[in-house]
Amino acid sequence: MAQSERMIDIAGVHKTFVADHGTVTALEPVSITIKAGEFISIVGPSGCGKSTLLRLISGLDQASGGTIALDTAGRKRPVGFVFQEPVLLPWKTIIENVRFPLDTAGVSRAQSDKIALDLIKMVGLAGFEKALPRQLSGGMRQRAAIARSLSDDPPILLMDEPFSAVDLMTRDTLNDELLRIWLSTGKTILLVTHSVDEAAYLADRVMVMTARPGKLKCIHNVDLARPRGDETKLDPAYHALVAQLRRDLRTSGGEAH
Amino acid sequence: MAKRLAAWVDYALALILLLAAWWFATGPMEMPTYLLPSPLRTWNALVGIAVTGELCVHLGFTLQNIVLGLVLGCVAGVALAYLMTRFPKLAVWLDGPLVILQTAPKIALAPLFVVWFGFGILSKIILIFSLVFFPVFIGSVAGFRSLDPKLKDLAKLLGLSTFQRFRQIELPSAMPEVLVGLKIGAVQALVGAVLAEWMSGKFGLGYLMTFASATYKTPLLFAAVLMTVVLGLLLHVMLTMLENRLLSWKGAKK
Repeated sequence: MAQSERMIDIAGVHKTFVADHGTVTALEPVSITIKAGEFISIVGPSGCGKSTLLRLISGLDQASGGTIALDTAGRKRPVGFVFQEPVLLPWKTIIENVRFPLDTAGVSRAQSDKIALDLIKMVGLAGFEKALPRQLSGGMRQRAAIARSLSDDPPILLMDEPFSAVDLMTRDTLNDELLRIWLSTGKTILLVTHSVDEAAYLADRVMVMTARPGKLKCIHNVDLARPRGDETKLDPAYHALVAQLRRDLRTSGGEAH
Repeated sequence: MAKRLAAWVDYALALILLLAAWWFATGPMEMPTYLLPSPLRTWNALVGIAVTGELCVHLGFTLQNIVLGLVLGCVAGVALAYLMTRFPKLAVWLDGPLVILQTAPKIALAPLFVVWFGFGILSKIILIFSLVFFPVFIGSVAGFRSLDPKLKDLAKLLGLSTFQRFRQIELPSAMPEVLVGLKIGAVQALVGAVLAEWMSGKFGLGYLMTFASATYKTPLLFAAVLMTVVLGLLLHVMLTMLENRLLSWKGAKK
């Protein structure tokens, strides 16, 4: 994989909202270049603009200024998005949900079924293809949402606090699975999280953001060995980084956990 | 399964009790036939028109009008609700006129519909349509407005076309409310169909009722009333089946 390729180029991107009592700055100008295949975590307290940044990159919202360039060769759907909640279509089965991006892009059923079944297996939901979302647990639904976001093979995966609604045990498992998926697919991943542990454990680089107004405070390189696992969590360097991240957040007056 | 069987037994018992009371009133209590015909006489009147094929014609006519009115009213109700949620400007313009039309008692307008649209099927369909349209429309507006904003994000992210959005996300998500409107509309449709036939024409269960009462054929009147009850039940069963099919994902009762 060409690690030097620039996948996402963000230059001076900012966002302001017009509210009743004047304009609110959701995000002060941010600039960063993200390489292809990189795993970036974004941590920060509520209101630091981390979700806003993700929505701007995905094109769900328009920036008030600055430029975002994606090196995705004019694909119609350059990014996959995993929301905080699964956002599955409740009337469709798991396989229909995973297949949904393909079905709506006119991919043949034989091909889309094959892709969907592979992804369902990859996220560990084999046997639940015909189940409806309401029949699954929160963690399983989130796995299905991840499978759906990968089904039309976007080069970039944006994840907005994807595991905040699941319990801690499931969260650890899902984190390890996410790393496995990342290694096997080579996606460029941006993951927004409240948890500094999660951010340090997963990423190549951690963006620390602070609130009111939302801005990028600093970026840490994570030099922990890959593949990561239980040993990583015993590594003093990991703990030093987590402590550093906490300090970064605390001095800014934010309230991360 | 046993629960279902028990429910059927309860239904049957209630019906038998009702029949017994009816029979008791006409038999031992000796109610005159012109007030209350016995179950047997009513049955004979029903068989009488069934044999000549009249029943089929009248029942078919009424059912056909109801189905036509239901389908047209439903499609128009969903369509207008969708347009109004998509183009808020339209909602602002149409709000006033719609409230006036909605609160106008359609039953009272029925004679006017006959004057405007004639004695034929058109005036009947229009009356049924006007009765079905509003409940479906109101249900659909509520349904489309309650769309989860996160599903809108998903649609935007996937770059769905307007039709894909409607077919794959907006309509299924509004379906529970649409069906509530449709169920209310179906009851209204039956009322409207019978009423329209009272007013004009020579076909339908409503016509059969006015004919029977004008000629003092009370058993025939009873038979016609019974058939409208059956028709109402039939509609109810059909809609429940539709609901179970379309809303099975909600874990609706089987």
